[in-house]
Amino acid sequence: MSTEQAEKNVELQKDLFQPAEKQALQSDTISRPSLNFWQDAWLRLKGNKGAIVGLILILLLSFMAIFGPSMNKYTYKEQNIAHAKLPPKIPALANIEWLPFDGKDKDGFDMYKAKNVKEAYWFGTDELGRDLWTRAWYGTRISIYIGLLAAIIDFFIGIAYGGISGFYGGRVDNIMQRVIEILMGIPHLIVVILFILVFEPGIFSITMAMVITGWVNMARIVRGQFLKLKGQEFVLASRTLGASGNRLIWKHLMPNVMGPIIVTTMFTIPSAIFTEAFLSFIGLGIRPPEASLGSLVNDGFKSLQVYPHMLIIPSVIISLLILSFNLLADGLRDALDPKMRK
Amino acid sequence: MAKFVFKRLIYMVITLLIIATLTFFLMKLLPGSPLKNQEKLSPAQQEIILDKYGLNDPLPVQYVHYMANLFKGDLGLSFQYDNRPVSTMIGERIGPSAYLGFQAVVFGTIVGIILGLLAAIRQNSLLDYAATTVAVLGISIPSFVFAGLLQYYFAVKYPIFPVAAWEGFEYTVLPTIALSVFVIATVARYMRSELLEVLSSDYIMLARAKGISSFDIMVKHALRNALIPIITLLGPLAVNIMTGSLVIENIFGIPGIGQQFVRSIMTNDFTVIMGVTLFYSVLFIVVVFIVDILYGVIDPRIRLSGGKK
Repeated sequence: MSTEQAEKNVELQKDLFQPAEKQALQSDTISRPSLNFWQDAWLRLKGNKGAIVGLILILLLSFMAIFGPSMNKYTYKEQNIAHAKLPPKIPALANIEWLPFDGKDKDGFDMYKAKNVKEAYWFGTDELGRDLWTRAWYGTRISIYIGLLAAIIDFFIGIAYGGISGFYGGRVDNIMQRVIEILMGIPHLIVVILFILVFEPGIFSITMAMVITGWVNMARIVRGQFLKLKGQEFVLASRTLGASGNRLIWKHLMPNVMGPIIVTTMFTIPSAIFTEAFLSFIGLGIRPPEASLGSLVNDGFKSLQVYPHMLIIPSVIISLLILSFNLLADGLRDALDPKMRK
Repeated sequence: MAKFVFKRLIYMVITLLIIATLTFFLMKLLPGSPLKNQEKLSPAQQEIILDKYGLNDPLPVQYVHYMANLFKGDLGLSFQYDNRPVSTMIGERIGPSAYLGFQAVVFGTIVGIILGLLAAIRQNSLLDYAATTVAVLGISIPSFVFAGLLQYYFAVKYPIFPVAAWEGFEYTVLPTIALSVFVIATVARYMRSELLEVLSSDYIMLARAKGISSFDIMVKHALRNALIPIITLLGPLAVNIMTGSLVIENIFGIPGIGQQFVRSIMTNDFTVIMGVTLFYSVLFIVVVFIVDILYGVIDPRIRLSGGKK
């Protein structure tokens, strides 16, 4: 019996049918809102305690960097020799035993009474009587500026270079890669130091030196990702449908590379902050009277034995700053690309 | 393999040439005159001196001279230290720096491997968290900050170790620890993630199925394979030790190259700065070269692809 005959023979009546149970259909519907990549990453990041601590610390330090210097009446370069080398004193915290903010020096001697100083310097003063609170947060401001600058350079030069190299491939890629290989061979610090010697030490030289060397790592990563992605089917499909190179890059490749880009940027920031502090520490960075955390640490060394607060305060701030960015970067790496964990 | 080595060698030479050229032209760009008592000398005398040192030659001729001298290991004379040859000054100071750097790398690698190993064996235990915390702190705290705190607590507040001299092993303890913190942190992190990856691979499962003891699996199978990638770390670590030594030697008063370098920066002793810069560059490039080759020798997968990963 063929199927045609069967269809004719069976009479289809309404009572043969029953509505399907709603329950069975419902198990297939998605009850929770679907998450896109970024929402998913944010969820994972929120679960990472270290990253959240890092994020809060960054916000806190940024807030202090912006508003800290103007919280009291002193400026970062105002000198008052009569008030030189005062230990930290915060009146509200002065009575708490274990906090070092009681205005006493390391032998328990109240310097504020001895020098007859009415004001309270929250972080103490340096050897020229400059307020360390203002100077420390001013230095933090410079550190954060350097970190952001490094991120911006990564974004613009690194992505453009790596993107072009990876997307076009062939001879363009070949030449661009040779340039990178040579640039990679030159120690960054050496380039930075040479730059600073030829131009004046200061924020401009550091900025320029970083523009020249800072983007190489990012370019390599973006290129690698582009090379990997552009051979995949979705790119081929888009190309077949007639998408232009511009559209391919911005609509298809870039969103997929964004994860590694953000992670790389986040790791660039702490290392740039470290480089600036290091240069200022050895006397090649920010020049006095301007303050950088590195130069403050260096100043602190000179009076390490008698006035440890001058060393410890900027040391703690710079360490916290780099630590917070590292923690956030670690968390982001795990959140954005679990495969990149290493 | 020979082709790979040759290719890397060519890159090394090109990089060195570029650095040397860069250094030369930057030297020419520097403000000021090489003459010491310029105002006391008549123009004729100045001419004679400039002629004597070949400073009146056209730039290309000077460049060739400079490159030839460089090739012979002649880095010029110091401005500040009675015209002493820069190469001699570097030679005199290389001992303490090399000793300290070597000690820090060895100590840091061993401690780092142990930390990473412990963390990987007891994954997600308290020990693991402690090791991870140490690693993050070690990467985050700048070496000069750490050195300062070490000096404050272990030399000033509680005088356990002597500092500010170079007279024996006890003087090297604090600087070595300060230098090796970053090494410890980096190696421990890497070791942990490598081991975790290796431990979850099929051949470890096979070894377990065969009934090999955990200890033997760890030492004979897992550790060996996890150690290979550590070699790639040597390059970055060498750079870190170099930059670290600049500040550490100053903080602890060690008569090494780093101390000389910072001093020269303070006194604008340009020839010494350039000489040490070149010296560091060569050192860095050679280390990277050796690491590349070593990695190619140890891990045959690299050889096939013929380049860095």
